[in-house]
Amino acid sequence: MRASQALALERFLQGEEFAKKPGALLKSVGAKLVRASDLPAQRHAFGETASDRLLENLIEQLPAQTLIEVVGRRSSGRFSIGLAAMASSTAVGENAAWVDLGDNLDPEAAAKAGVDLARVLWVRPRRVPEALAAAEMLLATGFRLVVADLGLAFRGGRFIPDAAWVRLQRAARDRESTLLLLAPCRLSGIAADVVVSAHAAHPIWRGNGRAPRLLTGMASRLTLEKSGRETPGRSAPLSFNVIEAVSS
Amino acid sequence: MRLACLFVPLFPLAARLRSEPELKGEAVVIFEGNGNAARVVTASRKARRVGIEAGMTLPQTRALLPKLAARGRDRECERAAQEALLEVAESFSPRVEDGREGVVYLDLEGLPGLVFSAGGRCATGAENFLNQGKAQTLVPNSQFPILNSSRSAALRLGRDLILAAEKAGLPARAGIAAAKLAARVAAGLPESPTVVPPGGEAAFLAPLPLGKLAPALEISEALERWGLKSIGELAKLPEGEVASRLGEMGRELHATARGIDPRPLEPRTAPLNFSEGLELEWPLVTLEPFLFVGHAALERLMQRLESQALACTRLEVALKLDPDGHDTRAIALPAPSRDIKTLLTLVRLELEARPPGAPVVGFVFTAHPDRPRSVELSLFGPAALSPDRLATTIARLASILGADRIGSPRTAEGHRPERFTLTDYSPPPPPRFAAARRTGRGLLAVRVLRPPVGLEVIVENGTVSSAAKSPRPLSLKSLNGDSPSISGTVRVASGPWSLEEGWWLSAPPSCSGRSVRSLREVTERRSLALRERESSEGSGERSSPHPDEPRAGALADPEQAEATATCDRDYWDVELSDGALYRIYRERRSGAWFADGVYD
Repeated sequence: MRASQALALERFLQGEEFAKKPGALLKSVGAKLVRASDLPAQRHAFGETASDRLLENLIEQLPAQTLIEVVGRRSSGRFSIGLAAMASSTAVGENAAWVDLGDNLDPEAAAKAGVDLARVLWVRPRRVPEALAAAEMLLATGFRLVVADLGLAFRGGRFIPDAAWVRLQRAARDRESTLLLLAPCRLSGIAADVVVSAHAAHPIWRGNGRAPRLLTGMASRLTLEKSGRETPGRSAPLSFNVIEAVSS
Repeated sequence: MRLACLFVPLFPLAARLRSEPELKGEAVVIFEGNGNAARVVTASRKARRVGIEAGMTLPQTRALLPKLAARGRDRECERAAQEALLEVAESFSPRVEDGREGVVYLDLEGLPGLVFSAGGRCATGAENFLNQGKAQTLVPNSQFPILNSSRSAALRLGRDLILAAEKAGLPARAGIAAAKLAARVAAGLPESPTVVPPGGEAAFLAPLPLGKLAPALEISEALERWGLKSIGELAKLPEGEVASRLGEMGRELHATARGIDPRPLEPRTAPLNFSEGLELEWPLVTLEPFLFVGHAALERLMQRLESQALACTRLEVALKLDPDGHDTRAIALPAPSRDIKTLLTLVRLELEARPPGAPVVGFVFTAHPDRPRSVELSLFGPAALSPDRLATTIARLASILGADRIGSPRTAEGHRPERFTLTDYSPPPPPRFAAARRTGRGLLAVRVLRPPVGLEVIVENGTVSSAAKSPRPLSLKSLNGDSPSISGTVRVASGPWSLEEGWWLSAPPSCSGRSVRSLREVTERRSLALRERESSEGSGERSSPHPDEPRAGALADPEQAEATATCDRDYWDVELSDGALYRIYRERRSGAWFADGVYD
């Protein structure tokens, strides 16, 4: 029975014992349905909980940093961190660029994450040198935030000289911009001002055993590996929710 | 009426030196014709010093000076130089006439500081305007009443004209008078600029030789037989007598000698495009030398655009091939730009992608101009991007990566998650005041895998890629050659979430009532199911996460519907043994499995 049909039946039975309690029909006949309006709101604003403080601080300090490297394996949340930073930057009216080596950006998901797409320049290089050259050009142009996502399976990292990262860091510093590097492993060496690793990630499911399950989010842990302002090693949990679990 | 004339002596040589500035100071001749019939048109000063003059053959010049740089007459080069001279004139006056061959006339009427009264006196306002320009006695006959300040203004204008022409690479002379002929003759004098006072044209011309009037050969011979040497002597003759003996042409010449030039100024219409080109001395077969000479041409072209406050939005490259043939190609820029390096890179990529197939003996770059983007910067808001710099960067990135690899992302109509569109990047102006920085919504994002990674999947019933309805995946492995590599046992699988789209393209009309399951609908179902689960968790009951509730619907736009490809998929969210979380789907028709996203 659909929820709308159940509600229509409930209205039809006005005056009966079911109608004495709103929603009684839905709860009593075992339809396993509830009205949407009866559900508690599950909106989860990013940074609401203490677990997100580390990332929140990181993003708040974006203008003060030049090269930030976020390291993590697959499904560690680094891509979501990049989108959160992008949303934060574009929300204040800044122009941002996304260098997408793996061609992984989903504009719809980015828009849902709060990114103002009109302010985003999306660059899709095919090779690592192209990506680094594009990042340098974009920094020199004056983009306040350049997110360089090096994709899932990064190849050729060992052939990038350290001088390239120093050059990128200086390009960002000269223009008072931020380069957010999303990489599967440490790449930028000494050039990075801040290095954060995302690890111990695990998805959050609803349901047990062989019953159908629902993906509601993902929990991860951020660790500050390097920072010029704080003592490294500070760690905090981080959670992301699936859009369907946040609102409808 | 006051006119100015800009005149470039030895114009074919000057135009060539503008295109090849490295030849300046060398012994250069410009010749016309082929082989032994080639004759020298003009020669540089260094060549003239050794006796080379117009009309000599090339072997004769080589005999006099073996290390002589000889260049053929290049009409395209001269045309570009003439355009550049006209643009210089247009930066001073809106009414400019093309006098051909290095001659340009400007209408000075109404220019501040050059308001002459009919009697040769300056207007009062002009006196205040004119600066402390040092008075020069460049007028041959200084008996005319003209105020020093007005003359200074005219001289300053003439000097400015000459400087502007030199900046454009053309050594020019300037003359200012009330008639075209007087201005032209004044511009031809060695001391430049020369200002002829109003009403003094006849007196100015009088002491000059008759050759300055450039009479026809027969008339010139007749005048010589009459013993006339100067223009003034011709002007003193009775007009009727001259006309009766020399005809209409003689009458016109007599009027000209008296400073009467009835020809009005014929303003030209400015061309829509800007061109620069060069005919090469020898055919080029490799790209680097071509880009070397092309760089100089582009530099000149961009200088001309900059002088007009314009930028290039489309660059056309016309190649003249050896022995016969042309090759034209157009390069559209993402945004108007004047960056030479970017344009040269675009030309390089274009020629590398499609080589002309024959040696190049000449080229013409044509720039389609447009106004550069401008933006009002905010004092208190976030820093805006410089439009010019942004356009240059976009053009450079487009030249390196390809125009389809850069732009502003937009969501696309339809429900397939891999879809997107790109538009030109034109960000809105920044807000007037900077807002407080805030974080995003904390959503789990999906990395879209483009193209989807083919998978070999073992499903629940023990078969590989079974065609059974919605089989639950047990283990995944990416097919050989597909990247990124995916492999592992499925720890948790959630699904299937059906996505069906475009079925109306292949289905008969009777299927119009069939359901359309979109990803959005899937989202709604998942939300509903999640709430059900939350409500049922307390009572220990479970409900199906994917109730089969069809919803009728179809795209309203038939063209859009036709453009939509058919897809029929069952989506799963799977967590593998290595902790990675993928979004995979199974094509119902083929039974093939793909991974199209990674939750990250």
